[in-house]
Amino acid sequence: MDEQFLIEKLRQGDEAAFREIVETWKNMVYNTAVGILQNAEDAEDVTQEVFVQVFESIKTFKAESKLSTWLYRITVSKALDHLRRKKRKKRFAYIQSLFGAGGETIIEKPDFNHPGIALDNKERSAILFKAIDRLPENQKIAFTLHKVEGLSYQEISDVMKTSVSSVESLMHRAKNNLKKLLQDHYQNKE
Amino acid sequence: MNDKRHIQEEVEKTLNSLDGIQRAISNPYLFARIKARLEREEKSLWSKALTFISRPMVAVPAIVLTILINTAIFFEFKSEKIQTPQDEEQAFASEYNLSDYTIYESTIEPE
Repeated sequence: MDEQFLIEKLRQGDEAAFREIVETWKNMVYNTAVGILQNAEDAEDVTQEVFVQVFESIKTFKAESKLSTWLYRITVSKALDHLRRKKRKKRFAYIQSLFGAGGETIIEKPDFNHPGIALDNKERSAILFKAIDRLPENQKIAFTLHKVEGLSYQEISDVMKTSVSSVESLMHRAKNNLKKLLQDHYQNKE
Repeated sequence: MNDKRHIQEEVEKTLNSLDGIQRAISNPYLFARIKARLEREEKSLWSKALTFISRPMVAVPAIVLTILINTAIFFEFKSEKIQTPQDEEQAFASEYNLSDYTIYESTIEPE
C-alpha cells in the first residue's frame, strides 16, 4: 500500500492500516532501539512505545519527511529517554546503597550480543558495543544509525535534523573516541 | 613496537566488526502487544482521571466550593422579598382595575 494512503487511513482510525505500518517498519524500529539500548527487552518495550505514539499522534504528522524518518526520530528520542531513566534509577540505587538503604542491587551490565552479527565476530562486536555505550549521545546515535541500521550521512542528517557536515564531524569524533577506548581496552588486556 | 602494531590491528578489526550486520528481528506478536497496550492506556486514562479527582488536594477544595456556592445561592434567595398571597392579590387587582371604592373613599365634588 502507498505510504500516503496508509497515513490517511490511520488518521481515520483504520486498524488494518495500523497493522500494515507496524508489520512494515517493526524490524527497522526494533533494530534501531536494540542498537542504542543494547538490551533486547528494553528494545521491545521502546518499539511498542514508538508505535503507540505513532497511533496517538499520526494526526500531527505533517508528512514533510518520510514516514521512516519520522519513525527513526521517535525511536531515537524514546530510546534516549529510556536510557536516561535507567541511568537515573541506577544513580539513585547507588546513592541508596551508600546510605545502607535496601534499594535495588546494582547489577553490572552484561556484554551485549547483537543477534544480527556473525558468530565469528560476536566477541569483537560485544567489545565494540561496550565502547559505543560510552560515547556522548549524539556520537552514539550517529554511529549506531550508520553502522547498525546502514543509514547514509544524508539520511542520518534528516533524522537528527542537522547538516550532513555535522554528521560527518560526529562520525569522525565517534571513530576517534572509539579508537581510544579500544586501545585502552586492549592495552589493559595485555 | 610489535605490541603497538598488534593493538592497532585489534582495534581496526574490532571497529570493523559490525560490517555485514543483519537486522535484528522483532517479536512476531508485536502488533497484538501494541494493541493490548493501547487498550490498557485507554482504560488507565479513565482511572487516572478518577485518581486525580479523588486526591484530597482536589476533592476537598471541590467539596468546599460546592458548599460555598450552595450557601451563597441559599442566602441570595432568602434575602429576596418573599411575595405573600395578599401581595399577589393586590397586584392582580391593580392590574385589572378591580379595586372597589367604598363610599368613604370617594370624594364628592361640591356643586
